[in-house]
Amino acid sequence: MSNDVMIYANDLSKSFGSFRALDKINFEVKRGEIVGFLGPNGAGKSTTMRILTTFIAPTAGFARVNGHDVFDEPLKVRESLGYLPQRAPLYLEMSVLEYLRFAGDLRHLDPDTFRKRAKSVVEVCGLAQVLGKEIRHLSHGYRQRVGLAQALIHDPPILILDEPTSDLDPNEKAEFLDYLKQIGEERTVLLSTHNLAEVETSCARAIIVSTGRIVADGPLDEIRAKSGRVRYVVSIQESAGDRPYRGRGSLPKRGEVEDALGKVEGVKKLTETPTDDSAHAFEVVSEKEQDLRPDIFQLVADKGWVLLELHRDQQTLEDVFRSLTIGDERRNRQLTPAASEDDEDEDEDDEEDDADSAASMSPEERAAKADRS
Amino acid sequence: MRNILIIARRDLRAHFNSPVAYVVLGGTMLLLGYLFFIAPHMAVSGTSVGGFWEIDRATMDQMFTYLPVLMSLFVIPAVTMRSLAAEKGSGTLELLITMPVKDSEVILGKYLAACGMVLVLLAATLLYPIAMFKWPWQLGSLDWGPVFSGYLGCLFLGGAAVGVGLMFSSLTESDVVAFFLTTGTFAILYALGWLASTVHGTFGDAVDFISFQARYQSFARGLIDTRALIYFASVTVVCLLVSFRSLESRRWS
Repeated sequence: MSNDVMIYANDLSKSFGSFRALDKINFEVKRGEIVGFLGPNGAGKSTTMRILTTFIAPTAGFARVNGHDVFDEPLKVRESLGYLPQRAPLYLEMSVLEYLRFAGDLRHLDPDTFRKRAKSVVEVCGLAQVLGKEIRHLSHGYRQRVGLAQALIHDPPILILDEPTSDLDPNEKAEFLDYLKQIGEERTVLLSTHNLAEVETSCARAIIVSTGRIVADGPLDEIRAKSGRVRYVVSIQESAGDRPYRGRGSLPKRGEVEDALGKVEGVKKLTETPTDDSAHAFEVVSEKEQDLRPDIFQLVADKGWVLLELHRDQQTLEDVFRSLTIGDERRNRQLTPAASEDDEDEDEDDEEDDADSAASMSPEERAAKADRS
Repeated sequence: MRNILIIARRDLRAHFNSPVAYVVLGGTMLLLGYLFFIAPHMAVSGTSVGGFWEIDRATMDQMFTYLPVLMSLFVIPAVTMRSLAAEKGSGTLELLITMPVKDSEVILGKYLAACGMVLVLLAATLLYPIAMFKWPWQLGSLDWGPVFSGYLGCLFLGGAAVGVGLMFSSLTESDVVAFFLTTGTFAILYALGWLASTVHGTFGDAVDFISFQARYQSFARGLIDTRALIYFASVTVVCLLVSFRSLESRRWS
């Protein structure tokens, strides 16, 4: 383990009774990285963070924070951490300044250092207006900022933030992410959230967990590319209405368009998307790295159809996230282990439905799809 | 040690920053005034006598009969329920524990703060003997010995009761449950104590042994009973250990 690894988790597992909240999680976070820790609710994000902050102990495996084992040297770990738990649980009857002073006292900051640090965190977190106010009178956004301020008061090398933006309105969220970029410049930040847009704006790397397991870990581009599919949206005019038709020949029929698009090289899957009567719209899925737009355009031009729309849709992080974690819901609805067989059958049925709808799918494609799932 | 004091100071301030402390302390003082001056009551000796004015003697007997009851039934449960149970419920404990403090420092800090509240209450009751027998009034010559021993007894009993309250507070996440567990425990102990005074034999002895009230009685009479001091101190230590273990158990659950 090199010196630059600030957070290191090795086969981390945690069970609550018979419920396995974490199942052999492995990851590391290096100095200066801002890492988004993603997953649906109940995936194990908070559990992981609570283990890293020494609030609970792992059932198996170990973790090191700043080189200290979370189990053997909890005080050393806590010293090098700033932690903001979910929903920023602060002492409501204290004023902001009192709270910061309390945090500073427990971190053993001497009065001079405290004054300096407090000045800087108040500035970064935008708390100057509310310093004397009791925390109970603050909005959630401000409470979140106070929570962040107390996590920063001792200038820790590592920040662990559990859903820091869940209670914020869109403006506050944007501001918060700005702070995060500022303070994350020379710090290691692990940030959990289920909001993907936040990760896209503030993190370069994401770890996606689902039902206690890591399903993806890497730079956002890599994760995005993981599904390896690019979508194109094509719509061809179907009816001109009252106005004269500008294309060559007669208006195309649905089957004609579908056949022609299906024959374009590199098309993996073709689905019609519902529209009104004015257009035939199709979603074309291709293999990666191959831009189909010139071929599609040429095809339409050759046929003399009127192209209303053609654009390429990069797979969004949202799609990847959904495809990686979608199984959770299904598993949640499954009551007994005995139901798992039925469940699998259902899956197969689903797939057949899919295959029927994508009429142009060849046997090889079908096999490829089965492989993926 | 420094962390203990920081936590204790914060807790004590939190008590006084919320209305609970004032309501509980004020209410207790009012109730104590009623019981002391007006209500007919059973003296420590067990004989039925009138209120302070009726018995016409320079004694603080009534106060030392009721003070420990009021303390352990109302004041201490109301204070200790906030110590850990409320903090667990609201999640603030997670933030406190992930600061560089030991679990034992958290427990001791909370314990000290709750004891501080008991001290405030005891200091407030000092008004009674001072106002009546020193200044501005001299209603008679008071024997200060039993007053001193009575306060010592209250202090030790209070310390043990805070321990019990803190223990229940550490075992639950609901402050209401913590309050009623503590109050209920003392109510049962007092009820058993009264029962034991009429029952003799092994059962009576056994109840006498665990009853706070029986242990405390000698102090109210002016006796400093070291066995009772050790008893209260032991209860305190055991309860603090249980609280510590219970706080630590969050890691394993």
